[in-house]
Amino acid sequence: MFVVLSPTHPDPMYKQVTDQIKDAIASGDLKPNDRLPSVRELSEALNVSAITIKRAYQDLETDGFILTRAGMGSFVAPVERDALRERKLAEVQEELRRLVRSSTKFGISAGDIARLARQIEGD
Amino acid sequence: MDTVLEATDLTKHYEDFSLRGASLTVRKGSVSGIFGPNAAGKSTLLRMLAGQTPVPDGTLRVLGQSYADADRDLKNRIGYVPQEPVFYENRTVEWHARFAAPCFARWDGAAFHRLLEDFRVNPLKKVKHLSGGQKKLLSLALAFSHGAELLILDEPTAGLDIVHRRSLLDRLRALANAGDTTVVVASHITDGLDEIAEDITFLHDGRVVLRESADDLATNWKWVIYKDGSIDRAVEERFASVRRQPFGSRGLTGDFPAVREALAPALASGDARLDHASLEDILLSFIKGA
Repeated sequence: MFVVLSPTHPDPMYKQVTDQIKDAIASGDLKPNDRLPSVRELSEALNVSAITIKRAYQDLETDGFILTRAGMGSFVAPVERDALRERKLAEVQEELRRLVRSSTKFGISAGDIARLARQIEGD
Repeated sequence: MDTVLEATDLTKHYEDFSLRGASLTVRKGSVSGIFGPNAAGKSTLLRMLAGQTPVPDGTLRVLGQSYADADRDLKNRIGYVPQEPVFYENRTVEWHARFAAPCFARWDGAAFHRLLEDFRVNPLKKVKHLSGGQKKLLSLALAFSHGAELLILDEPTAGLDIVHRRSLLDRLRALANAGDTTVVVASHITDGLDEIAEDITFLHDGRVVLRESADDLATNWKWVIYKDGSIDRAVEERFASVRRQPFGSRGLTGDFPAVREALAPALASGDARLDHASLEDILLSFIKGA
């Protein structure tokens, strides 16, 4: 797991935590049933308040990414790959929107970007 | 670019402190920031630059002259605000303006009163009834009202509330941008002064340990956030400071262009990413590293 917070990031701390844990689950860095660090462990390691981490874990649980068992800690839920894919697709769409808008100003079309993407995939 | 101030190897020894070989160049129309922890030598250096204390060793030219053989007008052309301005406590603000007027060839009483209004300092108040911040504002108003070409300000934002600090920062930047005024500020905290300083000098233990333009600092200094083992050991060893954490480490590089290539694979795969390094982060790495 790779979680590092940035004070200059526009997102609040708890959101940075949830996003990075979701990324770790999506990339397979964290696998279903893997144990997450305790709230105290993570808050001490990241030098933030326990409330921040609690909030992050609650959100992750609500979204179905983790399960918390009383007295045992938090574990990665058996997430469906489709749900992760949907989430990533939404992110990619948002980034592409920015990219396409700034590129068209330079006469670079969506087709050019698609060609570049295929080229990168082939590398 | 015209140079307003050129200091080379300024050295001064006190019983328990020495300023050792401080060098500094200040361009006309720029804002220079001198930062450093408490007792780094900032005030000693500023007093020298302002001609308030002699320079035992080293050379100093200010506005093309050296204080040793300067004409009487040189100090007129410099506005100096000490860290702790001293006034006649039992006299009013207004009295100080009348006292200052004959000392300065280009004294502008109207400008002084406009500044007092902006700073919300009552001219009829006795100095002993002013707060610490208001005394600072009075000192700044005096320095801004005699047509000084070079402003040398020691901790100008100390004691100011956020509104006055912001308006002072805006004023300093506007003065420098107009081209005729040059500003040198010193501070122990970055406190917004890092936003307006174009050239940064960092003093630590009486030595200049860093001299870089703000643009170069932004190009060269970055936090690298990385998964352990994802980046070259050689790069890791050259970080100015490293914060190891169980869930990923942060390393501060002071030479990003040189390590960009080596970091490229980790950055592309998402095992590493970059974060902005504030002036405070950079300065702290010098203090802790020393």
